[in-house]
Amino acid sequence: MSIFRRLLGRLGASLIVLIGVSMLIFFIARIIPGDPARIALGPRATDAQVEQMREALNLNEPIVVQYGLFMGDLVRGDLGISLYSNRPVMTDLVEYLPATLELVLLAGFMMVMIGLPLGAISARYRGRWPDNLVRVISLLAVSAPAFVWAVGLVLVFAYFTPLFPITGRISDTLEVERLTGFMLIDTLAAGRLDAFASALHHLILPAFALALSGIGQAARLTRSNMIATYEQPAIEMAQAYGFSEARIARRYAFKPSLIPSLTIIGLDFAALLGNAFLVEVIFAWPGLSRYGVGVILQKDLNAIVGTVLIISATFLIANIIVDFLVSVLNPRIRFSEDNK
Amino acid sequence: MLFNTKTTLLGTTVLAMTLAAAPVAAERILRADEVAVGEIDPAKATDYADTVLAINLYDTLVYPKQGGSGVQPHLATEWAIDGATYTFTLRDDVTFNSGNPLTAADVAYSFERMMAMGQGNSNLFAGVVDSVEATGDNTVVFTLTEPFAPFLASLVRMPVVDMAVVKANEVDGDWASTWMSQNSAGSGQYVITSHDPQTETVMAYEADYFMEPVEGYPETVRYRYGLEPSTVRALMSRGEHDISSQWLPPEVFAGLAEEGATLVTEAGLSGEYFKMNTQRAPLDDVHCRRALAYAFDYATMAQLTQINDEVSSGRPMNGAIPQGLLGYDAIVPNFSQDMALAQEELAKCAYDPAEHLLDVAFIAETPARERGALMMQAIYSTMGFNVEITRTPWALLTEQVTAPPTAPHVVEIAVSAASPDTDSLLYAMYHSSQPASWIASSYFKNPELDALLDQARIETDQDARQDIYAQANAILAQEVPDIFAYELLGAFAVREGVTFHNLADPALTYPNSGFNMRFADISVPEAE
Repeated sequence: MSIFRRLLGRLGASLIVLIGVSMLIFFIARIIPGDPARIALGPRATDAQVEQMREALNLNEPIVVQYGLFMGDLVRGDLGISLYSNRPVMTDLVEYLPATLELVLLAGFMMVMIGLPLGAISARYRGRWPDNLVRVISLLAVSAPAFVWAVGLVLVFAYFTPLFPITGRISDTLEVERLTGFMLIDTLAAGRLDAFASALHHLILPAFALALSGIGQAARLTRSNMIATYEQPAIEMAQAYGFSEARIARRYAFKPSLIPSLTIIGLDFAALLGNAFLVEVIFAWPGLSRYGVGVILQKDLNAIVGTVLIISATFLIANIIVDFLVSVLNPRIRFSEDNK
Repeated sequence: MLFNTKTTLLGTTVLAMTLAAAPVAAERILRADEVAVGEIDPAKATDYADTVLAINLYDTLVYPKQGGSGVQPHLATEWAIDGATYTFTLRDDVTFNSGNPLTAADVAYSFERMMAMGQGNSNLFAGVVDSVEATGDNTVVFTLTEPFAPFLASLVRMPVVDMAVVKANEVDGDWASTWMSQNSAGSGQYVITSHDPQTETVMAYEADYFMEPVEGYPETVRYRYGLEPSTVRALMSRGEHDISSQWLPPEVFAGLAEEGATLVTEAGLSGEYFKMNTQRAPLDDVHCRRALAYAFDYATMAQLTQINDEVSSGRPMNGAIPQGLLGYDAIVPNFSQDMALAQEELAKCAYDPAEHLLDVAFIAETPARERGALMMQAIYSTMGFNVEITRTPWALLTEQVTAPPTAPHVVEIAVSAASPDTDSLLYAMYHSSQPASWIASSYFKNPELDALLDQARIETDQDARQDIYAQANAILAQEVPDIFAYELLGAFAVREGVTFHNLADPALTYPNSGFNMRFADISVPEAE
């Protein structure tokens, strides 16, 4: 089966999953307590005003009819108006998703670029001080949630030693035209290195707070996988050939150990979208996770469904990418899928 | 080696470059924050942040009276009241930020738009106004369905929009609703430069405004939303934030004060009420309610509101009406704990407290309120009540309180007067005609009180209204639909070098919550 057909198959399956998610979240959002019209209008609203808004939101229609109307609008790219922000939900999603993705992608990058080497170092120096140090650090990293790290990092690197900014995506004094919504890309596209530096400066602390737990997880996984690989006969053979320890670690022990780590990192990526909420709150990061929780508290039905759909789609895409990478790294998986 | 020299050098260069980037500015900037997202369409404005945006971006015919109670002229220089007809004469020197002159036609259109949209503060005028007519460029006539004394005060909640701009941005007869949530079309002292409802609204000073700013007024304002208390503290310590919201925990306020911030408070015609469900046993018996009110530990509650030795976020409340509103009477004694009287009242109650579970709810999003609920549990348990504390999310509470049988027995709520008129507080909370909502969650039904509140609406003589509301206050003190815990004072931490004039001097303070945050009345230093 060609890669293209396999990809097409996965995308088709993902579409069915998304339709299922849309039905589920649409119905769940409507049965949780609270009248969205009354919440939006405030306590002094008259019954007539509440009724007027319920009519405008189609809340008096049977739920199946509401879903049909929603899907009809969705096909036209219209997710309705958000009661939380009072503007089209699609506008909100387009504005906030890139901010969260940028944060999550850098966090994912940190997980890979810091977590995997730490695990490799730990396994390479098993039982010695670098191993012990990495194990302590990774245990600390996984044992506290991201928001605890966020507060701690703000205290250390922004409050006591003001090295990093605390809030926002870029310095207040800099303005960059929005192109993609990804600040790093937009600043580079505008040829503004000063703005790029500022955006990166703002991104590092929240991304690191978000990534810390995953870094610890990746390091621990890589270490245990590499240690298992070190016990394989192939490593003994490499040592017998007289290859250097660094070469054995990099080429023969590290690469096979990547597969389970990458799978877990893929799953962690989806978890990052959820964990990003508190990090976004602490760093006043204008992202989708923070928006998602805001709309749930406001019982903003259109925005809840829109946010969940976008996060689900991101999760599905991340999984497809990870599966693809794993099959590239492990020929056995690729061949077994080809033979199906 | 796992990392080569090139990688290390590249990483070091990027890090050095990022650390070198530092914000540079040379203007006067005010940075303040509020917890809720900000709504800039004045026809949808409901809460504190919306009020602050509305008063800075738009103007109203009248404004709450500075240093007093009632209203003072603003866009309207004078007005005449003839029964149910109000004729306003407008200033002739006001232009919108667009450059269009502000005329009576804009006032009439703004009212029509607000009522047609049916959101925000339109409920203050629902069923009240028969017609609005611009009888000249600077004269507008409101004809009411019947005399309605609170009408004038309600107009502080009716911002005037630029009719031409709004009409130009209408889509399918939507009153430019979507556009107005992203842009301003007002005559205010500030104009929007950017707006993100969950991050911040940035505003610039409008030099052509008809009122003078204070010396050192901010040229740019960044009004931020949803900042965490720890974030606010760190920002203020670094000199990157100027005025906090009023929702910080007391320990954060105290910490900021220790670091040099000034704490100021805004009374805002607000009370902290423990609303008792008068339609559910055992609180449908007035003696049980009185027993709870007498047993309540007001002194401890006052201690809980204390931020430091000098500043508190509450002050004693005598009755249902806060200071600054008609009907407030300083001579009425404050409630205080009296266990003997409480036991006496409990003995008269028709219910055995042990047979009824007392459900005390607090809003999950305001965890500090749990302390009040725990205090009640500790006291009322000694009286034989079986008290259960419920931590209820706001969305669930708003649903529960729409019907007395599902509403908790007691819920702690802060309520502010929407206008400088007592009607906007008492009528909404206690008139039996009001829809069941969290504001009216004591579901109090008292024909005598209803009659007084109705009478106060048609009585135009202020002395007579003072007497009416004083009588109403006495009934409420007697019938205790709520425990009047304390008057709420919104505390704000103000960074060193910034002066919040309206709250620093009582003579400059506006009575209503949010109306003091006129940005042009705040002095800020030049940014470094």
